[in-house]
Amino acid sequence: MTTMNFTRARSLASLAAILLGSAAWCGAAQAQNAAPANAAAANTATAQNRSPTTPSRGAPVDPGVRGGALGAGGALPGLSDVEVQYFNASKDVFQEVDAGPDGLGPRFNLDSCSGCHFQPTIGGTSPATNPQVAVATLLGAKNTLPSFITATGPVREARFVRNPDGSPDGGVHDLFVITGRSDAPGCNIAQPNFAAEVARNNVIFRIPTPVFGLGLVESVSDGALEANLAANAQQKRSLGISGRFNRNGNDSTIARFGWKAQNKSLLLFAGEAYNVEMGITNELFQNERESDPACQFKFTPNDGTPLVAGDTASPSANFQSDIGLFAAFMRLSAPPAPATSAAAPVAQASATTTAVASVATDVSSVLPSAAGSPANAASSATSGVSVARGGQVFSNIGCQACHTKSLTTAQSRLTGQSNVAIQPFSDFAVHDMGAGLADGVSQGTANGNEFRTAPLWGVGQRIFFLHDGRTKDLNEAIQQHASRGSEANTVINNYNLLPQGDKQSLVNFLRSL
Amino acid sequence: MRRLFFPAAAAVAVAACIVGLGVARYGAAPERPVNPEDGLVANGAYSSDYFNLSYRLPDGWAAGLAGPAPSQSGYYVLGTWVANDDLGGTVLVAAQDMFFAEKPADDVGAIAADFRQVISSVDGMTIDREPAAVRIGKRPGHRVDFSGVGLHRAMFALEIRCHVVTFNLTTRDPDLLAQLARSLDDLDEARKTLGLSVPDCVRDYAVADNIVHRVEPADAGAKTAAIPVRIVVGQDGSVKQVHVIRATAAQRRNIEEALRQWKFKPYMRQGRAVDIETGVMIKFKQTDM
Repeated sequence: MTTMNFTRARSLASLAAILLGSAAWCGAAQAQNAAPANAAAANTATAQNRSPTTPSRGAPVDPGVRGGALGAGGALPGLSDVEVQYFNASKDVFQEVDAGPDGLGPRFNLDSCSGCHFQPTIGGTSPATNPQVAVATLLGAKNTLPSFITATGPVREARFVRNPDGSPDGGVHDLFVITGRSDAPGCNIAQPNFAAEVARNNVIFRIPTPVFGLGLVESVSDGALEANLAANAQQKRSLGISGRFNRNGNDSTIARFGWKAQNKSLLLFAGEAYNVEMGITNELFQNERESDPACQFKFTPNDGTPLVAGDTASPSANFQSDIGLFAAFMRLSAPPAPATSAAAPVAQASATTTAVASVATDVSSVLPSAAGSPANAASSATSGVSVARGGQVFSNIGCQACHTKSLTTAQSRLTGQSNVAIQPFSDFAVHDMGAGLADGVSQGTANGNEFRTAPLWGVGQRIFFLHDGRTKDLNEAIQQHASRGSEANTVINNYNLLPQGDKQSLVNFLRSL
Repeated sequence: MRRLFFPAAAAVAVAACIVGLGVARYGAAPERPVNPEDGLVANGAYSSDYFNLSYRLPDGWAAGLAGPAPSQSGYYVLGTWVANDDLGGTVLVAAQDMFFAEKPADDVGAIAADFRQVISSVDGMTIDREPAAVRIGKRPGHRVDFSGVGLHRAMFALEIRCHVVTFNLTTRDPDLLAQLARSLDDLDEARKTLGLSVPDCVRDYAVADNIVHRVEPADAGAKTAAIPVRIVVGQDGSVKQVHVIRATAAQRRNIEEALRQWKFKPYMRQGRAVDIETGVMIKFKQTDM
């Protein structure tokens, strides 16, 4: 359920970037699957990789996480009572903390779903205080905290780019082991040597993706996604953008979840995360990743479909596995509601489409000024006019070519969710994001340079940005889209041509989402 | 006879020399075929042998960041230029292979009209100049101008070898846009000194009726990706050139190996077999379900 990448100044890589950057006009001749060795160098987002269109007219101020109503975390509006009960029961399980007897580990990144998915509320993304710091030594564990995990940094999973023999790895290497915990007597396995892997530039990171509203995303048909990608193709062609879908290997349908759109469905997303992030085997991922018999404290799979009813208020949930309930929580959760200066209608029906209901929050009450920021930035940050202008800027400079504002669901088995217009701000395609963001990890048909267009709904309430959480600043996140080989270079050039006021409006608009 | 013979021999020799040069650069089996992505900037000018284009950069502009690798739909970012801060602007030169576009279109005029339609639907965007046929250098093309949020833009499109090549200009200043647009008047031919023809491009020639012998490429990696390939079919029906536009190294190797064994019916133009280039989409068969 998580993912990321890390930027670090490396002199050798910088030199390589300078040399490579000098061949800019030779353009498109990159190999499709960037060799991870290159990717490690490419991981260094140097000034030489960056757009020469200087943001010379001043950088906007990111007003930071907006306040006001959460606008997220609840059930989809319009669900039946049975479905709401099911959602509530699944939300409870999403918050459960697992321990040794539950099958936690032997290797893991955290002990609950909601610990990672907590900003701005349950189901979100990395919180301000990283819970991985505390879990490292919980119940007597003696884990060494890797250098890239800090109390105020993002929740991170780590992937190694290459195996020791030089072959591609790309897999998650869990941060912690249960060794030493009072609920895991006799287990004696060691953590990976992260310091050594960091020293040889072999580690990339991913942060948790928010799960709000994902049932609606699951309900968008492949045909609708394909039509959307083709609909504004001519505009994309004028911006250097192409994009493609990461398709499932067996049935060729579009995968759409995760930083590289590597997961086909929410159930798969849940099953993989339960196994990879928490070490809990389940009906999709039956086998322990660490099979040392001294470290097993529950039968496998650790999670399964109960044959005897549980005791929740939801009859449906009582016969459901944990991963089924995690998927239900994601599937039934409402999308994040943007702030708006107008009272948004709860449901705006037309003949074929119904706008998703959301609780509107006045934009002027939810865009705080950044501490110490210039007065003009603070005033524009609280301006609904600025947000509206930012929306126009977003479309005009080409952000919406990939961050598609609106998609429509197909027929859904959930009450009131058919033919619903949603605003995920993503085309769910993967795009080449250039050397500055490349992590050298291939997943499905997405290569080491490609990432899914991150959905921007709810971005106004996120703390950390980009797949590895490398920045808390939206302007910096925008700039990081440009580097050698990125499809976003022209759009970022356009952004940098804007006067300061319009850049500020764009950032304010994003913080309103 | 004798006096006539010498100039004739000289002419033959010169012709042979020209043809020889041509063969070396564009002929039947060059060591390294020229492809759309192989353009270069040298001495302040962009030059593409494949597209037979030469464009001199305006003063005050520098090469921008390289674009992405060619896409799965045959889209190329050929290059970018960025103006210095005082000027403020960008130029993006791109090409779309018309054989593989998601939204097929046969003529540039229709593409410009479609572009205009999409752009006009963007909130706050104004169409400043409706799509119209123009000369771009010596070539026919189309132009659309538009603006929004203080950026003034123009898209020039022309068709070359079944690709839509576009020059996308963006500036903060309408006068600079006009100046940039004028710089396209000097668009020249990269190969004019040789003056040799290139193969006709023929859509949908790689179909069962025209393929005499076909070899499937060996499996390599993901079976879900359709891989766009341009090929040159010789007068004898053999495949003389293979350009795998986007694939992994293993897919590329296997596709090249297979396609070079294909045999086509020769393409006839006015009763004579001629070289052509066409497109074929390779999809590895599903075998693991």
